[in-house]
Amino acid sequence: MPEAVVMTVPGYWAVLAAVLLGGLAVFAAALDAGLSDRAQGLGGGWGAPLAGTARLLRQRRRTTVAADAVLWRVGNAGMLMGALLMVAVVPLGWWALADLDVGVVWFNAVDVMVWALVWLAGWGANSTHSLVGGYRFLAHGLAYELPLMFALVAPAIAAGSLSVGDVVAAQEGLWFVVWMPVAFVVFLVGVTGFSVWGPSAPALGADIAGGVLSELSGVDRLVFLAGRYAFLAAGAAFSVPLFLGGGAGPVLPGWAWSLVKTAAVLGVLVWLRRKLPALRPDRFMEIGWVVMLPAALLQDLVVALIVVGKA
Amino acid sequence: MGLTDALARYALRATHVLVVEVPGEWRTRVGLEQQMLRRGWRPAWTPADADVLAVCGIPGPALAENVGQLWEQMPGPRVRADIGSLSHVSSALDDAATLLLDTPHHRADAQNRPERPQLPEPHGQSDDDGMDHGGHGHHGEHQSADHSDMGHGGHDGMDHGGHGGIDMAPEGIPLATGGQDRDGLEMDVLHLPWGPVLPFWPAGLVLRCALQGDVVVEAGASVIDDAHHHGPGEGHPAQAPWAAVRCDNAMALLALAGAEDVAVRARRARDALLDGNGDAARDAVTRLHRAVRRSRLLRWSLRGVLPLTASDLEDHGLPMSCLGDAHDRLVSLVERVRAQVHDRGPMNPSGTGAVVWDELPHLMTGLELATVRLAVASLDLDPLPGAREVARA
Amino acid sequence: MLIGIAFWVLAVVAVAAGVAVFVVDSMARATYALALSFIAVGVQILLLGQSYLGVITILMMVMEMAVMAVYMVMFMGMNPALMPMDMTHGKKTAIGASAGVFVLLAAGALLIPWPERRGVPPEDVTAALGLEIMGEKMLVMAVIGPVMVATIVAGVVLAAHRSRYDRFGDDLRRRPADDPQAGGVGR
Repeated sequence: MPEAVVMTVPGYWAVLAAVLLGGLAVFAAALDAGLSDRAQGLGGGWGAPLAGTARLLRQRRRTTVAADAVLWRVGNAGMLMGALLMVAVVPLGWWALADLDVGVVWFNAVDVMVWALVWLAGWGANSTHSLVGGYRFLAHGLAYELPLMFALVAPAIAAGSLSVGDVVAAQEGLWFVVWMPVAFVVFLVGVTGFSVWGPSAPALGADIAGGVLSELSGVDRLVFLAGRYAFLAAGAAFSVPLFLGGGAGPVLPGWAWSLVKTAAVLGVLVWLRRKLPALRPDRFMEIGWVVMLPAALLQDLVVALIVVGKA
Repeated sequence: MGLTDALARYALRATHVLVVEVPGEWRTRVGLEQQMLRRGWRPAWTPADADVLAVCGIPGPALAENVGQLWEQMPGPRVRADIGSLSHVSSALDDAATLLLDTPHHRADAQNRPERPQLPEPHGQSDDDGMDHGGHGHHGEHQSADHSDMGHGGHDGMDHGGHGGIDMAPEGIPLATGGQDRDGLEMDVLHLPWGPVLPFWPAGLVLRCALQGDVVVEAGASVIDDAHHHGPGEGHPAQAPWAAVRCDNAMALLALAGAEDVAVRARRARDALLDGNGDAARDAVTRLHRAVRRSRLLRWSLRGVLPLTASDLEDHGLPMSCLGDAHDRLVSLVERVRAQVHDRGPMNPSGTGAVVWDELPHLMTGLELATVRLAVASLDLDPLPGAREVARA
Repeated sequence: MLIGIAFWVLAVVAVAAGVAVFVVDSMARATYALALSFIAVGVQILLLGQSYLGVITILMMVMEMAVMAVYMVMFMGMNPALMPMDMTHGKKTAIGASAGVFVLLAAGALLIPWPERRGVPPEDVTAALGLEIMGEKMLVMAVIGPVMVATIVAGVVLAAHRSRYDRFGDDLRRRPADDPQAGGVGR
């Protein structure tokens, strides 16, 4: 195995990481708004997220009767915090804020936090639709989380390490996405799951008037939505070192390749939102357990056999 | 105050509008949606997200009360736009935009409002039907029987299964009562009214569901201000092209299923049909038809939602177009629209497809919460139940 | 120095959140106070250099608390779960037992002659930990895993009130199955 390819940078670079994450989140929001307007047969629309931010900054916060304000605010604001914690272990090219020896597990621990956060955001408002949304998210989580965990196992087995740096190093020559496509797809489903995005967003569904979002206004709504986009961006960013060879690529420097690949994955996830109908939890539960979980386990078995065979 | 004004001006581009459609004002609501789209304004699904409360038509007394409650729930800056008819849409939105920018006005408005939200006063039975968005959640039963039974013993350290000190009605929200669920276990009953103001919902319809967990155990349907409907006005859906109304209903179902691109196609087909441009309408309907037929995930999602056999249809007095599950109904709906715009279908099929809303409670009982909305939307309800009264008279 | 401060801050958070579990008046708050306490403990374990154990503690506990909150609310019935309520019961026994256990553990911690450290931690503690836990007992672990899963599945099958005969009919030929709520695969 080659030398460690990822270098840890001092803590103050966290500011740059936050800025980059914010930029990617804005890119995702703008792309979504742009695609939305194009489908409607209109031009423009790219600026809508910024105007929407101005709108929410101007709007007042509100509360509901007998709301549990503490838990509610924790759930709303926690999404943004969680996304920032997640990118701490994602290398940009050859630099990472923290190259934990258990980076993959760290990622997993942060994505599990979303279970608590979305449920709290749904619970705190003390409103029916919001509560239904929170519970729906947990139902969805039960379906996507285990397959996601086993999808994370595949690159770790192949690299023989839980460190993100080692996973990147092990992909020299052949990206993991080539020989673990199933794990990659399951991973992306998991990313949409923990960012409550697109087909995995019945917790925010139109049929329950926005669910967890239904009672949020002003800055509360803004941080929840921002956190959601940030999680989507962080999930896309993590797919790059895990499956897409990290910063590897011709001509451009490593950091540029990381960004390009992240933006590409993010773009696909944003584009898919409009194309796929919602996966309702009552339907998706069976898909998660009967299709995705065995598929991910089989993928792990294949990867393990190949690794043993090579050794 | 330059920055505040600039922010307000910039924010205006992304205004969110909570649309209230008075039954019978279908055309006004559609006109409003078209205008909003052109301005970059988007619909809000709940009062929490709304800057503008747009009321299409003149609400009856019960709906007016609901609108008042919605207004109270809006965070502010808030503006109310009363749109009497289709021709007033544009000017009403212009006025709303001007008022939205008036920061001192909104500051004063904020200061004059109560700091804390309040539950609306409980009324008699019929008026309380229309609690809008379930905004103030756990609306237990407004029954006092259980209440007086338990007394307020909880305060005296009476031990409810080991947990004492329960406030029986914190902030005026009473405890729920229990009941047997479908597995024979005792479970709390939550009373949740859907409508009359909900996104993608037949205007004015109120469906009161008793929920145990997420299963509807009992339901009752009514139409708000039923006695107040008068004959078809200019905004009446019976005056609008039949196919356009159907496309609007298909859009609601598709949007609820989360199939956004297909829903947009239905919306474009509706608008093209309303414009009366034959070629564009045919083209848009064909695209919609193709998108609906092709999407396998959509079929997977809607399969098995409220399946109805021929004998079910007979029992409930439903038209033949409701045969099958939600996906069958969607396909049949789109196919009838396609046949009509290609001049192969009946030119004036109105009356043949009307679903009787008072059958809804029987159909909804036993469904899961997630499918109730899909089921209602798939039935292609006539947006104005009053149309039936008129037709009968 | 920095690690010392972090240790004390986390220790206070862990204990304070633990106390909050019994002081707060709602199930949701109690559950997530406990989750916070566990997160603080998890970070303490990270400070000890056992990053795998620390992160896994956080992961498991947050997930567990999210599920536990749902079960608590569900089983409480009569929905006081949604009302302000006292989170303690059986107070005298509980206080006696917890005080006794605390004295025992604290006495143990203070009175035991702790051994001096011999040797140094291995380079890859996670791998060393895995070998220590699993190494010799791999066969046992590999057997226990499937047995536990089989036990859970069997338990659910025995507890379920509908059998395959209810789903597929007496001759097991009915397709699709008769379910109150159809799944997504179409079994």
